Amino acid sequence: MRQAIRTHRTLFGVAGTLTAAAIAVSALATVSHSGGTDRAILTSRAHAAKVPLIVYSAQGYDMNVVKAFQHATGIPTELVCDSTGPLLARISAQRNNPQWGLLWVDGNQPFAALDRQGLMLRGFEPSVRWNATADKVIPTDKSFVPTGITIAATLIYNRKKVADPPTDFRQLLLPKYRGLLGMNNPSISGPTYPYVSGLMAYLGSVTQGERFLLRLKANGLHIFPTNGNTLHALQIGQIGMATIQSSAIIGAIEQNPGWGISFFKGVTLLPGNIGIDPKAPAAEVAEAKRFAEYVLSPAGQHQMLIGDPHGDSNFWPVLQGESPRPGMPPLSSVPYQVTNPYLWGPRESTINSWFTTHIVQ
Amino acid sequence: MVIADRLSARLIGAVTRPGRLGALGGPALWALFFLILLVPIGLFLLVAVSPAIVGQGHAWLTFANFATALQGQTLQGLVDSLVVSTTTAVISVAIALGLAWLVQRTTIPGRGLWTLLVWVVLLTPSFLISLGWERLLEPDGILVHLGVPTTGIANVFFGPVGVVFVLTTKGVPFAYFAISAALGALGREFEDAARTHGAGRWAALRMVLPILAPAFWSALAIVFAETISDFGVATTIAATANFPIATQTLFNAVDNFPANFPVAAAVGWLLVGSVGLALVAQSRALRGRSYQVLSGRTRPSVRVRLGGRSRVLALAAMGVFFGLSLGVPFAGALSASLVKPTASTITWHSLTLANYATVLHHPTVLGPLGLSAALACVAATVAVVVGVIVARTLTRRRAGPSARVLDLLLLATVGLPGIVLGAGYIFAYNLPWLNDIGIHLYGTLILLDMAYLANTVPSTTRLLVGPMAQVQFGLHDAARVHGSGGLRAWRTTVVPLLSRSLLWAWLFGFTGILFELPISQLLYPPGQETLAVAINAAFANYSYAPGTTLMVVSVGFAVIVVGVVLLVFRIGAPRGWQRVGSAR
Repeated sequence: MRQAIRTHRTLFGVAGTLTAAAIAVSALATVSHSGGTDRAILTSRAHAAKVPLIVYSAQGYDMNVVKAFQHATGIPTELVCDSTGPLLARISAQRNNPQWGLLWVDGNQPFAALDRQGLMLRGFEPSVRWNATADKVIPTDKSFVPTGITIAATLIYNRKKVADPPTDFRQLLLPKYRGLLGMNNPSISGPTYPYVSGLMAYLGSVTQGERFLLRLKANGLHIFPTNGNTLHALQIGQIGMATIQSSAIIGAIEQNPGWGISFFKGVTLLPGNIGIDPKAPAAEVAEAKRFAEYVLSPAGQHQMLIGDPHGDSNFWPVLQGESPRPGMPPLSSVPYQVTNPYLWGPRESTINSWFTTHIVQ
Repeated sequence: MVIADRLSARLIGAVTRPGRLGALGGPALWALFFLILLVPIGLFLLVAVSPAIVGQGHAWLTFANFATALQGQTLQGLVDSLVVSTTTAVISVAIALGLAWLVQRTTIPGRGLWTLLVWVVLLTPSFLISLGWERLLEPDGILVHLGVPTTGIANVFFGPVGVVFVLTTKGVPFAYFAISAALGALGREFEDAARTHGAGRWAALRMVLPILAPAFWSALAIVFAETISDFGVATTIAATANFPIATQTLFNAVDNFPANFPVAAAVGWLLVGSVGLALVAQSRALRGRSYQVLSGRTRPSVRVRLGGRSRVLALAAMGVFFGLSLGVPFAGALSASLVKPTASTITWHSLTLANYATVLHHPTVLGPLGLSAALACVAATVAVVVGVIVARTLTRRRAGPSARVLDLLLLATVGLPGIVLGAGYIFAYNLPWLNDIGIHLYGTLILLDMAYLANTVPSTTRLLVGPMAQVQFGLHDAARVHGSGGLRAWRTTVVPLLSRSLLWAWLFGFTGILFELPISQLLYPPGQETLAVAINAAFANYSYAPGTTLMVVSVGFAVIVVGVVLLVFRIGAPRGWQRVGSAR
């Protein structure tokens, strides 16, 4: 028996130690296999002279822009490309010790909220020639920088199912559109809260907006998790029309000529923005500024326009002299509104919670 | 070989001497669990009552987050999860009992194939099964185009019924492995005794089944825990049907802006508590009774000979189960991957291989597959090593309180969704003081693989507990008495008996990690996108056909890996190894 116990201990001793060693060795082997990450391990952000610029981005064209930026400047740039939600979750979880350098996503509300928490570098504005639309969305404290404009949500419809599409939000309540409309869940889809809050602003108040959404629900509104699900529902005929982000609509229409777009009066402007981590090392902050300047240069704008032709590349530029992709309607023809991110941003949890309880369920 | 044996003997000798490494073996294992499981999960759960500890709020002690978690959609999600998990566990155990009985105790043809298919179901990601069913049943889906109306069945399927259905297909393998080991080892004397005393076949069955109570409860507990933490169905069928379940509400709490980690942590506590309740139920049901039925004199069981009609019925039952759990979803996903991206409807003319060409020629798509495969290879290997050690601990005849604590810890971890580990790893390994002392783990593949390991070890261990419990260590002890070194004794007596189980446990870990999403989303290093992140991005960007194609290609890759590993085992392993544990 003693022998058996000793064997058992032996087993534990060997296996426990070997396992610990195996983790270290194999992980190191994995790292060296992976190539790019060894920089992250070996390079202390605080101590290295030239640090890699860490870009957190949810833009479909980010890979193109990052590659072109590296090629043009020689600045090592590493991309974390994901949906807006997981990126902001990362930033929130790292609050005590930020590991990102630059955030590039759609919507100004998250940037305003991060600004209020002291997580945005203030006072930075690239010396570019903004157009009139950009002037409407640049914050007074210069805590984030617009890079392109989309509409938070407008109407996409299947011409076979909706021959006579609505031209105004209120017309969505008409009985002839019963059961035809779909939209994203703002608790899951990033650009949908700006749409919902914008709708409330357009209708006059949160209460008015809630009443409208309840009536939409009574008229057979369908809720889907994200753009992809909503467009898929449109494709398979589950719905006949949907309100989603304009860039996704324009991209989808290019692939489905039987679909149409209609810009309602009062649609909400959704700028894509860049914000910089104020706690990043000075060298990385300087690189992040150069990245923002590159994005707003003709070369950067070109990369944005070609990087994701069926999605995010369908934006309106914020610079004088730049044009959107061919086929895009002029922004001046869109009856948009601009909402205050510092007013509507803090209401996101409350409104999303109400939406989930009263509309989704 | 001789040199290796001498080396191992030296190593064993070194570690068995009092005061050396031998004394550190147990602590080394606990240290490992402390680092990969206890610290990150503990820190995440601590945020529920003390958000200020990691900068997620100002309160150092509060219980308000539990109040928030116990209202509205999060409460609804918890209730739904409890109902779904309990229902799934019961149905899974019932189906698994039928499968196990047919394979272990009857002469049904193709027993090896059925066992293999159970493993394939286990390896198939739940989101793939969900997606396959969605593509099949949705309006204008594959069935509609084949002339089969689906409106009625789709209305029922896209809701709680579909969620339970898919989760049950995923739960059956876990229950199967827990039950089949016990069923296979149960001698026929109990049945014989009942039949001798005049009991009919059903009466005998009613007497024998309660003997298997520990296996049933073990199966219920693991299926319950696996189901309550499932993320694949939560983000597909449940999300599309707006049917809130706890893993999704927990994820939403983190994914929403501003991220609400304290409420997510409170939901995490409630999930752990739910698994705790399942374990308490298991413990109370088995308390005060003895279920020791295995002994040296246990008579081998005799298979029930299936006649013509019963054989057809049994084969039909097997066909239906595996058709629904594997055939249908694979057909759905495969057909969706063959649809042209520009097609607004699915017709035979709209089928194309262009999606495959896109995926296979796009370097940014295949890169994540290679990276995830490498990470999965490493983490699965370590997970199996750790799993063997822990399974041995848990199945020891005199397992002490530390083994019970370990068992509880592992099962509770199974009940937590991966995002808990992801966030917990950021909280634990992105502390400023760690950077100050030169440790930069966050944002590296090391940390990502550690989290994968932590996520894999509990399930892998559970899979190995059954086979390990069946190993008689008398042979091993005899080898030691005759002078064999510790490692050699293991290698020559225990490893051959476990080889097949070890192989499948590795494959289970490998495929699970290959398709892991929530941990990857929070921990993947800059520029090192993993496979699940790439697939998720494709779907989020409305690249449905390429997304599905990438998934089909990835699953195809996983199938090839499984095939190659099995082939290597068949060619390379001694014949005796292959006979042990295979279906007779």
